[in-house]
Amino acid sequence: MTNYIPTIGIEVHVELKTKTKIFSNSLNGYGKMANSLTNVIDLGYPGTLPTLNKEVLNLAIKAALVLNCKIRRQMHFDRKNYFYPDNPKNYQITQNRTPIGYDGYVEIEIDNEKKKIEIEEIHIEEDTCKSTHKSNKSYLDFNRAGVPLIEIVTKPCINSSKEAKAYLEKLKEILFYSDISDCKMEEGSMRADANISLRKNENDPLGVKCEIKNIGSISNVALSLEKEQLRQIKLLEEGKTLREETRRFDDKLNDTVLMRVKETGNDYRYFPEPDIPYVIITEEMINEVEKTIPMLPEERKKLYLSKGLSEINATKLIQNRPLSDYFNEVLKLDTNYKTASNLLLGDISAYLNKNEIDINKTTLTPSRLQKLISFIDNGTLTSKNLKDILTKVLEENTEIEDIIKELGIENITDTSSLREIIKTIINNNLEVKQDYLDGHDRAIKFFMGQIMKETKGKANPKITNDILLEELNN
Amino acid sequence: MKYLDKDITYINKLLKEKKIKPIDLVEEAFKNIENNKELNSYITLNKEEAIKKAKELETKEVDNLLFGIPIAIKDNIVTKDLKTTCASHILDNFMPIYNATVIDKINEKNMIIIGKTNMDEFAMGSTSRTSYFGAPKNPWNKEKISGGSSGGSAVTVACRDVVFALGSDTGGSIRQPASYCGIVGMKPTYGRVSRYGLVAFASSLDQIGPMTKNVYENALLLNAIAGYDEKDLTSSKKEVEDFTSLIGKKLDNIKIAVPNYFMSDIVSPIIKEKIQNIINLLEKNNIKVDFIDVKYLENAVTLYQIIAMGEASSNLARFDGIRYGYCAENPQDITDLYYKTRSVFGPEVKRRIMVGSYLLSGKNAKIYYDKALSIRDDMKKELEKVFTNYDYIIGPTTTTTAYNLDEQDDPLKSFMDDVLVIPVNMAGLPGLNIPVGFSNDNMPIGMQIIGPAFSETKIYQLASFIEKELNLQLNPKDGEEND
Repeated sequence: MTNYIPTIGIEVHVELKTKTKIFSNSLNGYGKMANSLTNVIDLGYPGTLPTLNKEVLNLAIKAALVLNCKIRRQMHFDRKNYFYPDNPKNYQITQNRTPIGYDGYVEIEIDNEKKKIEIEEIHIEEDTCKSTHKSNKSYLDFNRAGVPLIEIVTKPCINSSKEAKAYLEKLKEILFYSDISDCKMEEGSMRADANISLRKNENDPLGVKCEIKNIGSISNVALSLEKEQLRQIKLLEEGKTLREETRRFDDKLNDTVLMRVKETGNDYRYFPEPDIPYVIITEEMINEVEKTIPMLPEERKKLYLSKGLSEINATKLIQNRPLSDYFNEVLKLDTNYKTASNLLLGDISAYLNKNEIDINKTTLTPSRLQKLISFIDNGTLTSKNLKDILTKVLEENTEIEDIIKELGIENITDTSSLREIIKTIINNNLEVKQDYLDGHDRAIKFFMGQIMKETKGKANPKITNDILLEELNN
Repeated sequence: MKYLDKDITYINKLLKEKKIKPIDLVEEAFKNIENNKELNSYITLNKEEAIKKAKELETKEVDNLLFGIPIAIKDNIVTKDLKTTCASHILDNFMPIYNATVIDKINEKNMIIIGKTNMDEFAMGSTSRTSYFGAPKNPWNKEKISGGSSGGSAVTVACRDVVFALGSDTGGSIRQPASYCGIVGMKPTYGRVSRYGLVAFASSLDQIGPMTKNVYENALLLNAIAGYDEKDLTSSKKEVEDFTSLIGKKLDNIKIAVPNYFMSDIVSPIIKEKIQNIINLLEKNNIKVDFIDVKYLENAVTLYQIIAMGEASSNLARFDGIRYGYCAENPQDITDLYYKTRSVFGPEVKRRIMVGSYLLSGKNAKIYYDKALSIRDDMKKELEKVFTNYDYIIGPTTTTTAYNLDEQDDPLKSFMDDVLVIPVNMAGLPGLNIPVGFSNDNMPIGMQIIGPAFSETKIYQLASFIEKELNLQLNPKDGEEND
C-alpha cells in the first residue's frame, strides 16, 4: 500500500463567555427553559436592529492576542444569507471580508518536537438557534440564537490526527485560561469541523477534501480523521476518484457517514451588514484587553518548575484552573511551595472533589495555607493529624493554632517531659540502644514507634527525633 | 366645527384653554377619515385605543404643542398591539409586541395614533399601487396616484384628516408623494431619526420622516422624533437642535445651487416653469442662485436598484412563516413551507427580491454591489463638494405631476420618476419637499430643498420663506365646500 500524506484543516467554533448576547441584551446562558432567554431581536422580528456587545469585541481581541494573530484595525460585519429554520433572520451576521484576527499560530509539541499550527483567521459571528425533531415535529429553542461565537480557522497545515488532537487540546487550554470561553464540548460551547485530503507526495497538489462537521469531542476529532483517512485510502487504492463531501462522525458506527455531496460553491450572497457601522479597533483598546490576559499555561508551567515543583505536580496544577490560580497567589508568599503543591493536589483536592466546591469557596486563604505549612515544616503537624484537622481548616475561620489546640492533637513540644519519656524508653530497651550504636538505623524507627505509642502520637516528630538522637549519643 | 385643518398653535391654544378636548380632535379625525374613505389612505384604524387615550389625556396637563394631536403612522413602522402589515399579505395579521423608537417618542409627547396608513408593499414602489390593500387615491383628483411609497400618509395629511403623519423614505418615498399631494415632507439626514422598529427595506437608505401640511409643523414633529437611539447603531449622536428655531428668520448671504440635470429635459415644462419662478423669487430677494454641473446624479437610479434591491433581498428573508406573519398550511417539508409562504409576496416585491439576490450572487457581488457602493461614495463626495460652495441645492421633486391610477405600471418608468429624489438617500442627506404651485390640471407641484448632512434647521428656514412668499391654498377641499 502506498503511503499517503494527510492535509488537515480545522475550524473551531467557540462560544464566548459573555453576560449577554452579541446583538441584543438577552442573557447568554446554557440549560435554561427553552426560549426564556430571548427577545424580539433574537427572534428576528421585523424592524429590529442589532446592537454590538462591547464584551464580545474585547474577548475577540483577547483571542486574537493569545493566538498570536494580527488584529484588523478597521473591520465590519457581513451578512451570510441562507434559509434555515434555525437562522431567525435567514441571514447570519458574521465576518467574511474583515475577520478581526488573522495570521496567527498555536505552538504544539509532539514527542519533544515543536510545530506551529498556523491560524488563517478568527472571525466573530452569532450562533443559530437549536432545533430538535420529535415525531414529525420540529421544535426551535432560540436561547442560543445570538450567542456570540468566534470561529478559528487553521491553514491546511496539520498532517496527522495526533497533531489535530494536540492542536485542539492546546487551543482549548489557551482559550479556557484566557477566560474567553468555557470550552465545554459536551455543552456545545466548543465545536470542531475538520477537513482532510490525501496526497502521495508533498509536492503533489492537494487531493480532494472532505469535511467532517460538528465533532463533539477532541478524541472524536482524532478518531474521525483516522477513519476518514482509511476510507479515502481505500477508495484511492481501488482506483476510485473522491468527491467533495460533507460528512459527520457517528459515535455508534465509529465511522464517518455521508451528510451531503458538496455542490458547486455555496452561494451565501455575502455583503457588508448595513445595520452595524465599521468598528475601529484602537491601540488603546488592544492595550486595555492585553492587561486582562491572565498567565497562560505555558508560562505557569515554567514558573512552577522554577519554584521547585515536580513536572507532574506542575502539569496537574495547570489542569485544574482554580487550583492553579490559587497556587499563583500562594507563590506570592514565602512558604514551602513543594509542600503547598503536594497539599493542594493531595488531601485538599480530595476534599474539594468530594464536596464539589472551589478552593476559593473554602476558608483556606493562601495566608492560612502558609501558616499550615509552617506547622508541618516545624514538625507540629504530621500527615496523619493533618487529615484530622483539614475539614476544620477548610470550613472554619478559626486560627490554625486554635484548631490544632482545640482538637487536642497539639504535639508534645514540651521538651522536658518529652525527654523524660524518651529517657525511660531508652533505659527500658538498652539492647536496642546498642543496636543503634552499632550503626543500625532501624533502631531509630523502633524508638520513634515506642515514643509515639507512649505519647499517643502527640509528640512532635522533629523535636522527638532531635532529643532521641541526643539521648542515644549521650 | 373643524379644527384639524387649523395651525397647530391654534389647536394647542384651544386645548390649553379647555375650549376643546383631545377627544374632539380624535372624533373629528375619524369622521374625516370616514368621509374620505374612498381615498383608501388607511389599512388599520386605531379607533378604540385612540378614544381611550384621548379620554385619559383629559386629566393631564397640556404640556407641549403636540399634546393630544392625532397622528397617522405609515404601516411599516411597528406599533405594539396595533396591526402592522407593511401593506403585505404576508403580514396582514401581524400584531407587533414592541414599539418602534419613534412611536415611543410620540407617545412621550402624548400624541394620539389614529391609524396605520396605506403604502406600497414593504415600501417598494412609487405609486402605492403595490399595496395588498389597493392603492390610495390622490385627494386633488381621485383618478390619480397618490405617489409612494408613503401614499396613505401623504393623502391623509393633504385632506386634513389628521395634523401629522409619519412616512419613510428609501428612495423618495416621503418627498415624492408629498409633492404629488401638495404637502411638506422631510427625509431627514440618515441617522437623524432612529430606524428601530421601521421594517427594513434597504437598511443603508431607509429613514423615517415627518409629513405635514406646513413647514412649521414639520419641524415640530421632527423635534419630537429625532435623536440618538442606542438601539440603532446607525443613529447619530449629533445633538438635536430646535428645528423650528430659524423659521421666519431672514436669509442672509445665501448661495443656492441648481444642478443642470435637475432642470434638463427629463422634467416636464410646467414643473420647470414653477421651479424657475422660485429661482426668480429668490434672486429678487438677493439670494444667489447658480446652475451647476453635478456629476453622478444620472447614475442615481442604477445605484439605487443595485443597493436597495440587494439589501431588500436579505431584509425580507426573515418572512418565512415560522415565527410570525402568514404561514402556508400543510407544507410537505421546509422548502415547501418557504416556497408556499413566500409566494404571497406581491409581484413587485418578488421582482426586487429576485433582482437583489441575483445582484449579490457569487461574482455579481463584486461586479455590481461593490461597484455601486464605490460610486455611491463618489456621489456623496461630489455632493459634499457642492456644499463647500453652496448652502442648498434645489430642484423639482418629481419629473411630472401625479399620473393616472390606471396608467400601466412600468417598473422602469416608475424608477426613473425617482431620479431626482434618490441622490439624497444615496448621500444620506436631508431633503424636503415644499409645494410651489399647480399644473394646468390643478395637480400640485413640489420643489426639493437639499442641504448638507444635519442641516434640517436651515432647510426649514428656506422652506418657510418660500411658503410664506407663495402663500398657496393647499387644501384640496377648499374649492368644493365652505366652512
